[in-house]
Amino acid sequence: MITRRTKAEERRAYLLLVLPAVLLYFAVVAFPMIFSLWISVSDYSGGQIFGGSTPVRFAGFSNYVRMWNDRYFWISLKNNVYIVLISVFGQIPLGFILAYALHRNMFRAKGFFQTVIYLPCVISSVIVGILWQTIFSPYGPVTEIMQFFRPGWQNTMLSNPRTAMIPVLLVMLWYYTGTYFIIFLANLQKIDKEVIEAAKIDGATEWQTLRHVILPALSGVIVTSAILAISGSLKSFDLIFAMTGGNPARRTSVLALYMYDTAFRGAPNYPRANAVSTFMMAFSFLLIIITKLVEKRFGGKEE
Amino acid sequence: MKTIPLTIEDPFRKKTYRWGRPLHEETGLVSRLFFGLILFLFAVLSIAPLVWVTLSSFKTTQEFQMNRLGLPDLWFFQNYPQAWQIGNMGTLIVNSIFYTTVSTMAVILLSMAAAFAFAKIKSKATPVLYGSFVIGILLTIQSIMVPLFLMANAVNLLDTRLGVLIPYTGLGLPIGVYLCTEYIKGIHDSIIESARIDGAGYFRILAKIVFPMAKPVISTLAILNVLTVWNEFMLINILVSREALKSLPVGIMKFSSTLSSDYGKQFAALVIGMLPLLLFYLAFRNKITEGVSAGAIKG
Repeated sequence: MITRRTKAEERRAYLLLVLPAVLLYFAVVAFPMIFSLWISVSDYSGGQIFGGSTPVRFAGFSNYVRMWNDRYFWISLKNNVYIVLISVFGQIPLGFILAYALHRNMFRAKGFFQTVIYLPCVISSVIVGILWQTIFSPYGPVTEIMQFFRPGWQNTMLSNPRTAMIPVLLVMLWYYTGTYFIIFLANLQKIDKEVIEAAKIDGATEWQTLRHVILPALSGVIVTSAILAISGSLKSFDLIFAMTGGNPARRTSVLALYMYDTAFRGAPNYPRANAVSTFMMAFSFLLIIITKLVEKRFGGKEE
Repeated sequence: MKTIPLTIEDPFRKKTYRWGRPLHEETGLVSRLFFGLILFLFAVLSIAPLVWVTLSSFKTTQEFQMNRLGLPDLWFFQNYPQAWQIGNMGTLIVNSIFYTTVSTMAVILLSMAAAFAFAKIKSKATPVLYGSFVIGILLTIQSIMVPLFLMANAVNLLDTRLGVLIPYTGLGLPIGVYLCTEYIKGIHDSIIESARIDGAGYFRILAKIVFPMAKPVISTLAILNVLTVWNEFMLINILVSREALKSLPVGIMKFSSTLSSDYGKQFAALVIGMLPLLLFYLAFRNKITEGVSAGAIKG
């Protein structure tokens, strides 16, 4: 059946179909990735890269060393770790509890709750940031509410470097929990209802069913959510950029913001900025690998 | 063993509409209280800030300073036309719609074409090429931001619409190619083979058979891409500085700094800014939640 002509036609069709996407992808994603690695080990300081007046030289790992010795790098990294923690141990459990409550049909108005809980997630993070900045500001409603309970309370939450991260983390909990809620809700619906009914008939309590039937069935989804949360947390930028700009005194900075400041604010330092972004990628992969290992060690009850 | 579902008919159930009434009789009171409280609290907290900002947008700045929590005494609508004008909201919304629709259509077309080839035409190149797309899903945008900026600068694409559309389309491809390939793999080979025997070329098959069959994955992909592109901020913030080309998230930053003490207008701008996507969500909420969970699990 397959003649040489159809083979040739097949190859031509494959090429034509694949080429536009591949070319664009390599130009916009794959090449810049490699380019970024190269900048991070160079002494490039703006201007023409090839044939400029000052040639670009290999600088070894000096940019990484300078990044490592910068205290703002460590402040940013610490904040990123807080964000990872609030997503893995805050957003995911809360999202699960909300999804479980709805799924077990404990309450009426399921559609209403579902719509409302996911609602914050569709608003631009920049708008969310500006909105909450005002809410937490000394002129905002949080002050008013707190002063109702504790008269004379001074709102320094966002201006005090020691506490400024707390409102940010609370907003992240508010903003991103809906995503995990939706993921868990969709996957809870895939669990066979009869299994749960059978457990109930055998006399299992709500908690026992949850612990021994539902959670094991969802372990794969939990790991995927954790990976999503980790890579998402390391990327976070817009919300903080709009809400605090990394201030006060750069105490709410995160790696992405540190990288942005290094590259685009003041005198541009592209090599160090790319050292930071390379570190972010590596750190993200490392955490994902750890998550996978933890899954192998403790999970794996599914299938 | 077959289990018979236990359904106890409750004669009062249809008449009572109290919140928190249990439908599953076997759920204990304590767990119901626990779950109910969290659910109710979180739902209230989810919309309270949005209700608050909407109400406050109808107050003058003076009134807001006296009355930060309550209903407006006097409904003041002037904030809206003023915010619209100061913020250039019309331009921002049109730009956002433009970037979103064009890049989404491009992502769908390119992803479907490549995915069809990856899934249904045998080639030794597939593992390498397809694999490189899948790796791209884990990419952090920060790691290509500086190169993209330098490249756009080198080819004079900074501050142009094309300079925004090209990276937006490219960045949508990894998840797009992945979702479409996995979906098209599920279409039976026999359907495509019989079309081939009838003399149809690959492009015809793609247009007439695969596209119509792939509608579910296309709508998932479209939704994911619309949400991402509409809300994207970091990249477009460095690629575009001309007022006329800004998207909604970039343009609305103006209300964070320069106008932060003019609360009435700031709130009106925020409401205008979130309205398009909220309407999109309310219109397609089931599709959107489906799409988000499908995209997340596979990605």
